[in-house]
Amino acid sequence: MSKLDNIPVRHQPTEAAGRKRTNPLAHVFDELVKFCQSRSMFMLHYCTGCGAIELPPAMTSRFDMERLGIQPMVTPRQADILLITGYVSIKTLKRIILTYEQMQSPKYVIGICSCTVNGGMYWQSYATAKVLKDYLPVDVYIAGCMPRPEAVISGMRELMSDIKSGRAQNWKRYYENYDHYLGNQQKLFGEDWQTPTDIIAEARHYGLMTDRTLGEHTALLEKHQRPLEALEMRLSAREKQKT
Amino acid sequence: MRPENYQARSQPPSNEFELNFGPNHPGIEGNYAFRVKLNGDQVLEARADAGYLHRGFEKLMEGRLWIQNIALVPRICVPDPVPMEVCYSLAIEEIGGLEVPERAKWIRVMQLEMSRLAAHLFAFGGHAATTGMYTTMFWGVADRDLILDRFEELTGGRVYSIYNIPGGVRRDVPEGFLDRLSSLLDYLESRLPDYDNLFFTNQVFVKRARGVGAMTQEQALKWGVTGPNLRATGLEFDVRRDDPYLVYDQLDFEIPTESGGDALARNLVRRAELKQSIRILRQVIERLPSIEGPIRCPIPNPLAWNVPAGEAYTRVESSKGELAYYVVSTGGDKPYRVHVRGPSSMHAVQVLEKLALGARLEDIAQIMFSLDACPPEVDR
Amino acid sequence: MSKDLNIWLDDLLGDIENIQFKRKSSRRVRVDVGSEALPALLELLQGRASYVHLSAISCVDWIEDEEFELVYHVWSYETRSLVSAHTRIPREPGVYLSIYDLYQPAAFFERDIHEMFGVFFEGSPDMEKFILTEWDGPPPMRKEFDSEAFVNQHFEWEQYHPQWLKDLEEEGGGVTTRPEDIRL
Repeated sequence: MSKLDNIPVRHQPTEAAGRKRTNPLAHVFDELVKFCQSRSMFMLHYCTGCGAIELPPAMTSRFDMERLGIQPMVTPRQADILLITGYVSIKTLKRIILTYEQMQSPKYVIGICSCTVNGGMYWQSYATAKVLKDYLPVDVYIAGCMPRPEAVISGMRELMSDIKSGRAQNWKRYYENYDHYLGNQQKLFGEDWQTPTDIIAEARHYGLMTDRTLGEHTALLEKHQRPLEALEMRLSAREKQKT
Repeated sequence: MRPENYQARSQPPSNEFELNFGPNHPGIEGNYAFRVKLNGDQVLEARADAGYLHRGFEKLMEGRLWIQNIALVPRICVPDPVPMEVCYSLAIEEIGGLEVPERAKWIRVMQLEMSRLAAHLFAFGGHAATTGMYTTMFWGVADRDLILDRFEELTGGRVYSIYNIPGGVRRDVPEGFLDRLSSLLDYLESRLPDYDNLFFTNQVFVKRARGVGAMTQEQALKWGVTGPNLRATGLEFDVRRDDPYLVYDQLDFEIPTESGGDALARNLVRRAELKQSIRILRQVIERLPSIEGPIRCPIPNPLAWNVPAGEAYTRVESSKGELAYYVVSTGGDKPYRVHVRGPSSMHAVQVLEKLALGARLEDIAQIMFSLDACPPEVDR
Repeated sequence: MSKDLNIWLDDLLGDIENIQFKRKSSRRVRVDVGSEALPALLELLQGRASYVHLSAISCVDWIEDEEFELVYHVWSYETRSLVSAHTRIPREPGVYLSIYDLYQPAAFFERDIHEMFGVFFEGSPDMEKFILTEWDGPPPMRKEFDSEAFVNQHFEWEQYHPQWLKDLEEEGGGVTTRPEDIRL
């Protein structure tokens, strides 16, 4: 039988992440940027599930996440971290993807609670998505139902050290493998699923186009793409009834 | 990046506009949304949009054993999970004709009141944060954490305890627990004047919350409001006293009421209930050591337990209002149907839609937090 | 208190035919009533016996009887008792009358039942989708809808079965259930 020590608790990426620039000044500058990024993380204030109940204790007086430089932020465009706190129902998953695509790079996703790994205790449920990393690249999982604030903070520190060492590059995979992620999303939301953000153009802009960015699913996206217009908001069914 | 084919839609000039409020919004409790129609910043119409937390509990419970569902039910309301377990257990005990030992009843009451304390501290902490008073939130959440420590000692779980099972509770009170609980209560009681100074009598809060989301007693009864929100309109009603379960009829406590019916009154009721919960807990601490006996009645092998056919409707008073379970058994090892009536299914949907009319946009968050609406109870 | 209640209820229920009355405990009363008489019963309970609080409407799908059972739980703040009025409607077409004009909270429960069971309530103010706005399958709470089969058809599982877990399973641990442990 394997020793407990042999059980890998964390997947170590094999290839050396990030390329080092040869110019020593540029290298120092890169290191400085990474350090600053890892020390000022703004996490999006979006409670997607029940794990969010352990975030207030982690953020407030007792465990005080702010001493590590982690603060809640209300708008996705200024946030660095997207916390998925618990199970994601399909309705929420759509909003999560919209939110994730609006966030500025570099951006990181943390999956909290067992439900984000494999459906957790709602594995039978028709309404929740099961494996979160099929739809978004996830940087760190924090298992537990629900993880204690200490576990949340330790997961955050894990992410911080990843950012500092340049290993946390998962956001690039969304652009590089957009076809794969879009395919999973289409499978769940229907073929005509589209988001207001133009990921392909962004991938081109960042220079992250690979042969896996485009594929059959993005072709489907172009086929079904409607011109985007301001969302039509129907307030009430009552108006319908009046007529 | 805006796509090339984006076309702005021209709108007729108007003061009215519509806004998606939530689900990703700090003024919303949990994952919930509103669509509001505004004139300036005045709300003309609001529509709740739920379902972001839908997991299909009622369906899941039909597919699992009676005892497995104990692990599911507390997830229906995250800030106040204990009443869920107790209410579900009460329903099974009523169907199965189980006699719960006296000691288990007292332990359950103790947990329920601890959970109520924790939920109230969380609730007004949240309300304070929406009015910009973050200190109260920090204090409230930190004090709630001390209660969670006692939960952890008693049950092994911080938030979800999964400690009440049909027939009683899982294990007995640890040695010295009651002393530690007692000193925690002393501490909490000494904090109450601080909270008064900081929040409940603070003019910043009082002026902001007075008159916001006000309803009369008639309206409250018509809309199905329950719990602290109903008591804030002046009706002295509490399921614990008027439809007693467990040992609440042997306990001595008052039912605080207020007459305003607005956000301020609802918070003052919660403030007064903190005191009553501490009072109940002190009585439990006094009585519990003298009650000897088992902590659960014998139940059949829970993995092959066929609860006899029947149905039961049980109600408990959770920190948010009247919580009820309707459980139907056909004599199988799984429930045939479980219906959960969460108090917030009224508060967060119809009541909020009505109270929001004419309010200002920034007050929607206040109304929602003062009603202590809990979206997972709506979605289930 | 309970004596008064008995007199009141006997008085009331004498007016309605096709009714069965059962006292379960001092505060719980079960009434079985035909679907045509239920609105009248609720009107009487509310108007003459102060049952002003609609606690819940529960729906039970009795698929073998081809019927839906609707249970209206009403509570009186004065007599402090709860009446559960049970009625049955045929599963097809699954249409019933709304009691919104008697009890406003009914709007939520009726909308919920419409969504989860597909029972339509005539006269209810709003039968739009609420929770399952992004769901286009059958009403999920109906007994014929199999959630587990749906999940296996639509979702994929995380494939994670490393060597150390296999080792554990050979020793009799791990997560795989051995055939002799399966309980039927």
